[in-house]
Amino acid sequence: MAVQTISLKEINPILSAYPKDRRYALAIMQDIQRRYNYIPREALETLADYIGIPLADLYSMATFYKALSLKPKGKHIIKVCDGTACHIRGSMNLVNSICRTLGIDQDGATEDGEFSLELVNCVGACALAPVMVIDEAYYGGVTQESLPKIFEAVRKGEAP
Amino acid sequence: MTVTIDGIPCACEAGEYLLDIAARNGVTIPSLCHHGGLPGQGCCRVCIVEVEQGGWKNIVAACIYPVERECAVFTKSERVIRQRGMVLSLLRAAAPESAEVARLCEVYDAPEYERFVKKPKERCILCGLCAKACQSLGTGAIVTVNRGVEKAVSTPYDEPSAVCAGCKSCAEVCPTGAVEVIEDGINRTIWGKSFPLKKCGGCGALTGTLAELERAADKAGAEIPALCNRCKQKSMSDVLASTYGW
Amino acid sequence: MTRTVLVCCGTGCIATGSLSVAEALRGEIQKSGADATVETVIKETGCNGFCENGPIVNIVPDDVSYYKVKPKDAPDIVKGLGGEPVRRLLYRVDGKPVPSQKENPFYAPQHKIALRNIGIIDPAEISDYIGRGGYEALQKALAMTPDEIIGEVEASGLRGRGGAGFSTGRKWRIAAGYESNPKYVVCNGDEGDPGAFMDRSILEGDPHTVLEGMAICALAIGAAEGFLYIRDEYGLALKHMEKAIRDAEDKGILGDKIMGSDKSLRLTVVRGGGAFVCGESTALMASIEGRVGEPRAKYIRSVQRGLWDQPTVLNNVETLANIPVIINEGGEAFARIGAPKSKGTKVFALVGKVKRTGLIEVPMGVTLRHLIYDIGGGVIGDRPFKAVQTGGPSGGCIPADMLDLPVDFDTLTSYGAMMGSGGLIVMDDRSCMVEVARYYANFLAGESCGKCTPCREGLRQMLIILTDICEGRGKDGDVTLLEEISATMLDSSLCALGKSAPNPVLTTIKYFRDEYDAHIGDKRCPAGVCPKLTAFEVDPALCTGCTLCKRTCPVGAISGELKTAHEISESACTACGVCREACRFDAIITAPKRRCGV
Repeated sequence: MAVQTISLKEINPILSAYPKDRRYALAIMQDIQRRYNYIPREALETLADYIGIPLADLYSMATFYKALSLKPKGKHIIKVCDGTACHIRGSMNLVNSICRTLGIDQDGATEDGEFSLELVNCVGACALAPVMVIDEAYYGGVTQESLPKIFEAVRKGEAP
Repeated sequence: MTVTIDGIPCACEAGEYLLDIAARNGVTIPSLCHHGGLPGQGCCRVCIVEVEQGGWKNIVAACIYPVERECAVFTKSERVIRQRGMVLSLLRAAAPESAEVARLCEVYDAPEYERFVKKPKERCILCGLCAKACQSLGTGAIVTVNRGVEKAVSTPYDEPSAVCAGCKSCAEVCPTGAVEVIEDGINRTIWGKSFPLKKCGGCGALTGTLAELERAADKAGAEIPALCNRCKQKSMSDVLASTYGW
Repeated sequence: MTRTVLVCCGTGCIATGSLSVAEALRGEIQKSGADATVETVIKETGCNGFCENGPIVNIVPDDVSYYKVKPKDAPDIVKGLGGEPVRRLLYRVDGKPVPSQKENPFYAPQHKIALRNIGIIDPAEISDYIGRGGYEALQKALAMTPDEIIGEVEASGLRGRGGAGFSTGRKWRIAAGYESNPKYVVCNGDEGDPGAFMDRSILEGDPHTVLEGMAICALAIGAAEGFLYIRDEYGLALKHMEKAIRDAEDKGILGDKIMGSDKSLRLTVVRGGGAFVCGESTALMASIEGRVGEPRAKYIRSVQRGLWDQPTVLNNVETLANIPVIINEGGEAFARIGAPKSKGTKVFALVGKVKRTGLIEVPMGVTLRHLIYDIGGGVIGDRPFKAVQTGGPSGGCIPADMLDLPVDFDTLTSYGAMMGSGGLIVMDDRSCMVEVARYYANFLAGESCGKCTPCREGLRQMLIILTDICEGRGKDGDVTLLEEISATMLDSSLCALGKSAPNPVLTTIKYFRDEYDAHIGDKRCPAGVCPKLTAFEVDPALCTGCTLCKRTCPVGAISGELKTAHEISESACTACGVCREACRFDAIITAPKRRCGV
C-alpha cells in the first residue's frame, strides 16, 4: 500500500477542530484515521506539536488502540467479525474464503490497493453471524458464494 | 495505627503503602518494578502479600496497597508462596536472561515448569519503569507500545529518538538490567543512538553525554561545566586554600 | 386517527436492507394517496431484537408484525393496511402465521423496561421520546433531594448491568458523600463482550433514556459534567447519541439550567479507541483523559478518585436505561420484578446455535432452559445442546445439566460462570469446548493491556498450551498446569480483566474434562472442530448424492456423482467442516483420524 503524501493544509483543520488538550488526542487521531484509513507519520508528528506532548505518547496510544493504525490500508476495509457467535458459526472459514477470493493473506491487502482484510472482535451483530463489515456497511450470514458479488459491488461503489 | 506483618506489630500512618511499612520494620518483601522515586507501578506482582481484614483474605500488591484500616498482613502464607512462585516462574520464562529474576526464583523457590515457552535472549519484564523515568524527566523518548502479549518498550517507530539525550536514567531504574548501554570511552550508545561523551577538563573522567549536559545547562540557564563535580570541589578548595593560606 | 408503520432500522435490519424497505413503503404510501380518515406515518425505529428475521416492519395500532420484508413487498403491505395482513410476511408458529408479537414465542414472554421504547419510537426524534413519557422522571427528580433520588434507586435494588452487579444506589450514595468537586457521571458504552449487543441496541434505539438516566444520576451525586464512552465501531449509536444531546440541549433539557432549574449538565460523547480492556472502569477513564487505556489498582475506588482524580460514577448503558422507570414508578415497584437479590429485568443477547436469535428482555431469575428453549426455540437443527457460554471472556461455559439454574447475578457466579453483560452463546455438539477456551485465551491475550505479569504472561503461556492441545501437542499435566496458572491470575492480577480471564478455561475444564482428555490422550477432537485432530467421512448410508458438499468444499476434496454416495479424500481435506454444515442429511461424520501421529 502506498504511503500517502500528506498536506498540512488537510491536517490542520482536523486538528484545530479540537482544543489543544491531550484529552482530545484520541478523537483527533480517529479523525485522521477516518481521513486516510491510517495515521501518517507526518500527521502524528504535527499532532504532537499541536497538543504539546511527546511524539512517543501518541505513538504509544496509536499502537495500543485497535481503532488506529500506523500502516496504510486498502481503500475498502473488510472487517470480519470473530466474536464468539460468529466464531462458532464459521467466521474462520469465511476469512479463508475471502483470502481465496481476493488472493490475499489474513491481515493482508489486495495488490491494487482496493481491499484490505482484518479480523475484528465482536461488532455486535451476532444475530446475523457470520458477519463482515465493509466500509461501515454490515453483511450478515455471508456465504462463500455471495462474496464475489459483494466485492464487485463495493469496487464499483454500488454497495449500500 | 498499627498493622501486624507476619505477626510483628508495625506502627504506621493511614494511607502508607504496605511495602514501605514492611521495609521500615525490617520485613523483606521482594519486588521488581517498585522504585522509591517513581511509585505506583504495581505491575510485576512480585510483592504480593495476603491481607486479612474484616474476615476477608485478599492478595494485594504491597507496593501500591495503602493501609486504611488495621489489618493483618502475611508475606509468607502458603497462598502467597504459591502465587508469587507462579508469578516468578512466568517472569523467568518472559525474561530468561535476567539474573535478578533468576535470583528471586532461587530465593523464593519458584517452581521450574518445563512446559513454559521462554522468550529468547530477553531480560525485560515489561514493567515500564524506564518509560516512566523518561517521562518524569520530561524527555518522553521511550514508551510502552502495543498491548497484551505484544507489549514492548520502544522509541516511536522503533527508530533512534529525536529527543533522547542519552542520560541513561532508563537503564539506571531498570530492575533487570534490560536497557542496553554501550560505552567505549568516546560515545554512549543507547536505544539505537550514539551520543558523544564529555570528559572532565581536570581528571578526564566521563561526565555524561554532551546532549544531556547541554540540556541540563539549558534548563539552569548556565554554561556546560568544564569539570566533573569532584574536580570542581577540589578546585574550589584549592582556591580557598591559596586565598586563606591553609 | 394515525396509523404508524414502524420500520426497524437497527444495525441488524439495516444490514438486511431495511432502509430500502422504508424507502419503498414511503413511495407506496404517497402513491396510494391520502386517506381522509387515517394518516399513515412511516417511522424508522431502533432494534426490535429479532434481527435474524429482519427487516422487521410493525404496524400500530393494528398490532401486525412482518418479518424478512423486501422492498417489493411494499405494495402488498400498504394494500393490507387496516385489512387482512400479508400472510407470507407473518411469523409462523408451528406453520400457523401469527400477526401479533403477543403470539410470537420470541416476544410473548418478554418484559421490557430497558428496551421499553425501542422499536416504537424514532430515536432521532426527541418528541417521540417525550411523547412516551420521556424526561418526566427528570422533571420529577428535579423536585426531589439527592437523598430522595438515591433512596428510590436503593429501594429498587438495581445492580450494575455491565457485569459486576454492584448496587447502583450504593455507588451513587458513596459518590454523593464526597465533598470534592467537580464530580463526573460517565456512561460505559464500550460494550466489548463478544456476543453481547444490548447496549448498542439501547444507544441506537433509545438514546434519550440513557441521557435521562445520566441526568438523574448527575442530580443525585452533584455532577455538572458527564461523558458517554461509546465504541467507535457503533456508528449509528454515535450518530443518534450526538443528535440526542444536541436536541436535548436545544430544548433546555440538558446544558445550562436544565428544565429551568439552577442545575446544569454538560454531556459529551467520547469515541472508544477499540480496546476491550476499556470496558474496565479505570481503563475507560484513562482513555477519556487521553491516555493509554491501562487500568490501575482499585484500592481507592473510582467513586472517590476517578476521572482526573475526582469522584466519578460510571454506569453501564442498560443500568442507566432503567433509571427513568425507577424514578417514575418508584423503586419498590421495580423491586417486585425479578429475583430476590437480582431485581428487575435483564436484556440478553441470545446467539450462537439457537433457532431464534436476538435480543430479549426478561425478569431476572428465569432459567437458562426457558431462555434457550421457550424463547430461543432450542438448538438449530434440533442437534444436542452442549453448553451455553455466558458473560463473555469473563464468564464460563455451562453444561446441559445446569440448564435449570436461574439466571441472576449470584447463581451463575457460584458455578464459576457469570451472567456478565448478558451474552448467551448457545453451543451444540459441533462446538469444541477446548477450542472455545483457546478462542477466549487468544481474545484476551490480544485484548489484555499487558501491564501486569499474571495476566500478560499467564495468558501467553495459557494460549501456547491450549493451542498445543488443539493441534495435537497436548501433554499429560497440561490441564493441571492450566489450573495453576489460572489460580494465580484470579488472585494476583491487577484488574478485573485478569482476575476473570481464566473463567472460560476453568469452566470448560470443570464441566468438559473429557474433551480435554480426548484431545491430549487420544489426539481426537470429539466435536470435529480442531482440524489437526479431525477427519471427516461420508456415511454412505445417509448420503443421497445431492452434490451440495462437493460444491461447497473450498479445496475440492470431495468427489462423487449425482445420486451416488460421495467420498472425501483425506489427504486433500483440510477438515474445515464446511461440508458438514452444508449437508442436510447429517451424512458427513467425524472419523477416527488415521494419520494421527501428529
